[in-house]
Amino acid sequence: MLGVGQRFPAFSLQATVSLEKGKTFRTVTDQDYPDQWKVYFFWPKDFTFVCPTEIAAFGRLSEDFAERDAQVLGGSTDSEFVHLAWRQNHADLKDLPFPMLADIKRELCAALGILDPQEGVAQRATFVVDAHNLIRFVAVNDLSVGRNPQEVLRVLDALQTDELCPCNWHKGEETLQVRV
Amino acid sequence: MTFDELLNSIPDYAKDLKLNLGSAMEQSELTAEQAWGTAVACSMAARNPQLQAAMLAGASGKLSPQGLCGARAAAAVMGMNNVFYRFRHYASNDRYGAMPARLRMQAIRTHGADPADFELWCLAVSAINGCQVCVDAHDHAVREKGLSEETVLAAIRIAATIHGLAAVVGAEAASAAAA
Repeated sequence: MLGVGQRFPAFSLQATVSLEKGKTFRTVTDQDYPDQWKVYFFWPKDFTFVCPTEIAAFGRLSEDFAERDAQVLGGSTDSEFVHLAWRQNHADLKDLPFPMLADIKRELCAALGILDPQEGVAQRATFVVDAHNLIRFVAVNDLSVGRNPQEVLRVLDALQTDELCPCNWHKGEETLQVRV
Repeated sequence: MTFDELLNSIPDYAKDLKLNLGSAMEQSELTAEQAWGTAVACSMAARNPQLQAAMLAGASGKLSPQGLCGARAAAAVMGMNNVFYRFRHYASNDRYGAMPARLRMQAIRTHGADPADFELWCLAVSAINGCQVCVDAHDHAVREKGLSEETVLAAIRIAATIHGLAAVVGAEAASAAAA
C-alpha cells in the first residue's frame, strides 16, 4: 500500500458528480484540483450498509474541508452508473456535494495497494493528499468498520498547522525555511 | 470618519500626536503601501473602531487590495501569536517551547501581499501588542528581506502614534457620550 511521502498515482476516471440530467458524469483526474489538498476515501461496494452513513458524513463536512482548501473525493470499484443508481436510491446520498470516482478497471486501487485480496474490491482506505499530490496520511479499516470523518478533518487540520511565524525561531537556529 | 476628519478631531492636549501622525504617514523611508498597511494593521491592534475606520478610509487608493488583505492578516495572526509566543517566553518552563503550538497560521503563507511588507506589519503589530520575542524575530526577518533599519523605525513611529491616538479617540468619544 502506498504510504506517507509517496506521490498519489496519476488517474483519469469517470465520476458521478450530480443527479442533474446532462451533468451526471465527468472525467476526474489527479490534476483537477491544483493548489488544493485532496481527501480521497474508498469503500468496498455501493448499496451496502456501512457506506452511506460514512459518505453522507463526509458530505456534511465538505464545507469544513473546503475551508481548509481540501476537496473530498469518494470512490469504489463500481461503475459510474452504479454510483448514480445508488445516489438516486438513497436519501442521504441525493445531494452529495463531491464526486464519486468509478475505478471500474481497478487501476487506481491497485496502484494504491488497497484492493482487498479476498474480495477484489477497494478496502475502506482514506488518503489525505497535499497540493503537490504527496500523500500525507493513510488509514485503512477492515471492511465492516466505518470511518469517522471528523477524525480525518482533525488530521487535516494538524497537517496544515505548521508554525510558520519567525516568532517560533530560537536564537542560533537557521532561518525558518517554508517547506514548499 | 475620513483620515483628515480624524486629524481635525484630535484635541489640543494631543496635538503632538496629531502632528506626529501626519508626518509619520509621509515619511520617505516608507512606501505609501508600507505606511498605509502599517496604519491599517496598527489601528486594528490598537482596538479603536473609529481609528480603524479612519485608517481604512485613508488607505483607499494608496494600499493595494493584496496589501489591505496582508495588513489585516498580519494584525489578526499576530494578535494571536503575540500572546502565544510571549507566553512561552514569559514562562521559565522551557518545555513549552518543545510542545507543538497547534495553531493554524496559514495566512502567513497565503496573505498575497509583498513578503517584506507583511513582515514589517507583523513587526509593528508585535510592538503594539508587546511581545519581545516576536519583535526581535520579525525585526530580523524584515532586515533579512532587505528593508533598512530606518524603514523599521519609520513603521514603529506609525505604530506608536496610532497606539497613543487610540487612547485619545476613545477618551474623546467617552467624553462626548457622557456630556
